[in-house]
Formats: sequence, C-alpha cells, structure tokens
Amino acid sequence: MKPFHLPAALALAAALATPAAVAQDVIRIGAPLPITGPLSPEAQKQQRGYDLWAETANKAGGIKVGNKRMKVEIVYVDYQSNTPRAVQAAEKLITQDKVDFLFSPFGSGAAKAASSVSEKYQVPTIAATASSAQVYDQGYKFLFGTFTPNDTLTEPLSDIVRKQAAGVQRVAILARNDLFPLAIAQEMEKSAKKRGMNVVYFEKYAIGTLDHASALAQIKSQAPHWIFATGYTNDLILMRKQMADLKIEAPVVTMIAAPAYQEWIDGTGKLSENVTSAAWWHPAVRYNGKDIFGTTENYVKAFRARYKADPDYAEASASAAGAIFQLAIEKAGTTDRIKVRDALASMKEMTFWGPVQFGPTGQINSLEPPVFQIQKGKPTVVHPPAIRQGELKLGVQ
Amino acid sequence: MLSLQILANGLVLGGLYACIAAGFSLVWGVLNVINILHGSFIVLGGYLAFFAYVKLGIHPFVSILIAAPLFFALGYVLQRSVINRMIAAPVLLSLTLTFGLDLMLSNAMLAAFTADFKKLTLDPPLGVVSLGPVVLPVDRLAAMLLALLLTALLYLVLSRSRIGRAIVAVRMDREAAALMGVKVKEVYAITFGLGALMAGVSGPLIAMIFPISPLSGPVYLGKAFVICVLGGLGSVPGAMIGGLALGIVESFGALWFGPEHAVTLSFTLLIVILLVRPEGLLGRKGYA
Repeated sequence: MKPFHLPAALALAAALATPAAVAQDVIRIGAPLPITGPLSPEAQKQQRGYDLWAETANKAGGIKVGNKRMKVEIVYVDYQSNTPRAVQAAEKLITQDKVDFLFSPFGSGAAKAASSVSEKYQVPTIAATASSAQVYDQGYKFLFGTFTPNDTLTEPLSDIVRKQAAGVQRVAILARNDLFPLAIAQEMEKSAKKRGMNVVYFEKYAIGTLDHASALAQIKSQAPHWIFATGYTNDLILMRKQMADLKIEAPVVTMIAAPAYQEWIDGTGKLSENVTSAAWWHPAVRYNGKDIFGTTENYVKAFRARYKADPDYAEASASAAGAIFQLAIEKAGTTDRIKVRDALASMKEMTFWGPVQFGPTGQINSLEPPVFQIQKGKPTVVHPPAIRQGELKLGVQ
Repeated sequence: MLSLQILANGLVLGGLYACIAAGFSLVWGVLNVINILHGSFIVLGGYLAFFAYVKLGIHPFVSILIAAPLFFALGYVLQRSVINRMIAAPVLLSLTLTFGLDLMLSNAMLAAFTADFKKLTLDPPLGVVSLGPVVLPVDRLAAMLLALLLTALLYLVLSRSRIGRAIVAVRMDREAAALMGVKVKEVYAITFGLGALMAGVSGPLIAMIFPISPLSGPVYLGKAFVICVLGGLGSVPGAMIGGLALGIVESFGALWFGPEHAVTLSFTLLIVILLVRPEGLLGRKGYA
C-alpha cells in the first residue's frame, strides 16, 4: 500500500472496529436467516418483509424514541439452513454486532434453538415464522411470536369440512418429518378424531425426499375422503404432481403451508385447483391498524409497489414483526431492552396483520387465521365469514 | 396389486436415477475426479428446459437435443482450461476445485434465476398410462426409456468407437495408454464433456418431474454417489443397475418401513455394499 493511503485505511479500520460508535442514532435489529441452502426461498421472503418495514419506517423519519427519531438498520447473517449455525449467528449478532433487538431464525425448530441465546443476553426477540407451542413453553421472557398455535389452523378447517361435506370420514395424513409440518399434522389428527373422522393413514416422510410415489400409492389404496399433506413449497409441488401421476382423487385435499405461495400455484398449474389450505394471514383480510402501515390494504399496496407481487403470510409476518417492535419501542420511549420487552408483553394493539396481544408464553393469541382454497388459480378465502370471498368447493382431481 | 404399483414406481424412479448418475460415474471412473459440479449441471440443464418452454414454447424433449452439444462444449472447455491443471494431483484437490466451481455456478444461478422453486408444467400434461391396475406417469416412463437409450448409446460409444476404446484404455492404465499414442489430455476433456452432456440432458427430464431451485444440485449429487457405489465406478451398465436398484429399494423401503426411512435405507444399503462388495455390483476391482 502506498504511504498516503495509510490514514484513510486506519480510519476505515477504526470505523469497522467500533460499529456502536458510528451507529448511535440507529436501532440495529439482528436477523439470522437461511440465505443459502434449501431454505433460501424462505429467507428471501423474510428479508423482503423486514426490508419493507425498515424502508417504510426510515422514510417516515425513523422510529420515535422519546423526543428524537432513530433510523432502523437490519443486520443479516446467513446461517446456511443449518440450525446449529443459526444459534451461533444469533449469538454473534448480539455479542459482536451489538444489535439492540433480534428477529428469530426461520421456522419453529431454529427459532426454538436460538431463543435460549436471546434469553441469556436478555434481548427481546420476535419470531415471525414459529407457530409450534413447544417453541414458547420454555418459560422464556424475551421471546414473542406472531403466529398463533397450530390448532388455530386445523380447527376451523375441520369445522368447515364437517359442516359442508358430511360424507368425509376417512382421512389420510402425510407429513414432512420436521418440527412445524409434523406438529400441524398431529393437530390435524386430533381435530379429525374430535369430529369422529377416521384417520386411515398417518405417515412421515424424511426431509429431502425426492419421491412420494410409495406413500401415495398406499394412500390411494385406502380410498380416503380427505388427504392432508404438509411440507414446504418443493415437497408439495412434487407431491401434488405425483398424486396426479397416480390418478389419486379425493373430495378434499389440504396442503400446508405451500398453497399460500404463488410459486406453489405456478409450480402445480391446473393441479392447484380446489386444494385447501390455511395460513395466519392473507392479503384479503381487512384490519385498520395503528402501526406504521395502517390498514391491511395500505400494506398490500406498499408491498406491491416495492416488489411487484402480492405479499404472502410469511412476508407479511416479517413486516409485522418489525412494525410490532416499532410500536413497542415508541410506547416504551426508549431502546432499553427490559422496557421494550415489558411493552411487548403488555401490548394490545391493532395492526395491519391483525389484533396483536401476546399470551403468557409470548405467543400471539389474538389472531383468527383464514382458511382458503385455490379457485381458478387464485387463493379464495372461505373462512372466517367476515372476510369470505367464496364457498368451499369439493372435489380435487 | 399394491406391490406391482410400487415395483413400477421404483423402476421408473430408478431409470431417472440412472440418468442422473451415468455421467458422474464415468468422470469419476476415468478421470478419478469427483465432480461436485454434476448436480448443478443437472439443475442448469433443468433451467435451460424451463426457460425454453416458458419463453419459446420449446418442448423439453427438444431441449434435450439443444442441451447435449452445449453441455458437451461446456464440459470440454472446463476440463481443458481448469480441471486439467489439477488432474495429476490427489483426488481431494480436484474435489475441492469442483466444489469451488460448484459454489460459483450455484450462486450465479441464484443471482440469475432467484431462489424460488420452479416447475416445468406441460400444457397439456403428458398424462398417465394404465397397464391393468398399475398407473404410470408418461413423463417418468419417457425419462426411463431415454435413460436406457442414452446409457446404451454411451455404452456403444465406449465399447465400439475409437475414442471410446481410448477412454477405456486411459481408465485402465494411463501411462500405458499414453505410450500407445493415446492423447490423454484430449481423452480426459472428451470424457468430462460426455459427463457434462449426460448431466445436461438429465436436466430437462428432471425439470418436468421435480421442482428445481439453484441450490437443489446437492440432492441429485447425493443420489449419484449412492448409485455409483452400488453399481460400480466408471461402469455405464453399473450406473443403470445401481440406479434401478436404488429406485426399487427406496420404493419398497417406503412401503415396508414407512416413507421416513426410505432415505435411511438407501444409505444403509450403501454401507453394506461398501463392506461386502466395495467394487460395486458390476464394478471390477482395481479399475476405479
């Protein structure tokens, strides 16, 4: 290096060494995400949601903290779809990057694993994609989640099917052997049995399974009325295709969580017709929020303007997690972690995401998740009645 | 009845597996290079077919004909310009090299195609054929037949043509082949080109059947590993037998032990084969 570059290099090194010193008027939130590896499409959704919130908040001048305004910065770390690394990433964000708050890594499994780190350092953490009750029942005080427990998805779904298709008796369940997909399948089993339905098949498939033909052939031999399959986008595109390959038809086919995503509808084409699903949020819901986005319509509009696509529940949940942090910080009037944590615990606010109130474990308990069905290539809300766009249709072939 | 359907499922899945593994096995057997790029080549071939169909309406079966020369050229140039420098080094170095190249390729695809899963959905779909109680999807059936055809072609090339004999000679004894006047570098480049070609033409078949994303390469690579060990390295019929065996084992494994154990079963089989018949079902000792 030439000598006259030295002072600049030293200044740069100094700036890099003390991020806290240059970032005084910035609130930093850490986001460990699976940016590479099999979960990378999910990470991208989270990132879109967080970024939209941060940009919107910064455009409005930042977050109001007492009588000054502070900008937001989201610090991303890639944990390569590897849960142990998600825990390391969370710890690195807290101890080295000195973030003020944290978003959980993706999904129930990784969120649970990383929650012990945020608890240890007393960093308020919002999980935007963790629904399983097991994530929240550890007695932790600093973890909050924007998804209601899994049975809030399977219960209304089973109610509608019971009401509109009395003949549905035999239920087959095929679940990805992964924390959330398996947990929701087990809830489905309970919901079905509670209503006197007969669960004729219940199997798990391994993560990374490339072929479902054997399991589906067995399901076919059981002639079920309701096929309930869980997994992520790629699993369920493949599974829907293989159902058609084996000429499997049923009055009701439910898949969670993929049909809420446009990629799933694109990937399955006409085979998506009449497949039902449930999710925690849908662009068709209508709430009048007090958060930075205001109404649900406003949020959808802002998202479309930024990304030229409709938001799905995972993207909206990420934005909601940010908006909720903002509400809590503004209410606390400080970035003090304990005070913000208390503001989150006592929160009772309406947002574009829906009413936000956290139960004693930190998991939200105020949402009513919509049930929807793909009709003519579009997700159509069939429940709850207040936002219904169409009736449940029977028959998937 | 169920067993017949499962057997049929296993056979068509196995055909697809054979297609995935043939090129990988060839390169490993002849060059002693574990080509980590193989999985990403398959995915790249899949994207080629996807965009050719969506943007230009070119049927994936036609894309195969386009992919073949393109991927051969890609493999040939890559071997000549990069991998050849590592060819005499221990196998771990060339593995590291192709691993690095794979990182570059998969990230380039990530940047170009986004991480979203894409699925080539034919309109109208190819549908299914029913043989009595057994239902078979036409796309998988076609993939299996094509895999058989390609494998047979590759076998013919290796056993009948001059260049094929040269490839086999280099595989058996590099020094002796060189002394006999075989241009080893050229043979290596052609072999690597053939390996890439086999990966590239599996891509359109894969894209019709599986959703693809830039990072799904390692899944196919993992299958290729198991198949090579099962069937024997560098042997084209071995890849065919290994692929079919894996397809059938996974299908019946899922039936008997539940779908969650199908993958475990195939890797257990891998360990058993390594213990009792390390040269593979059709491999010959000492040639790998």
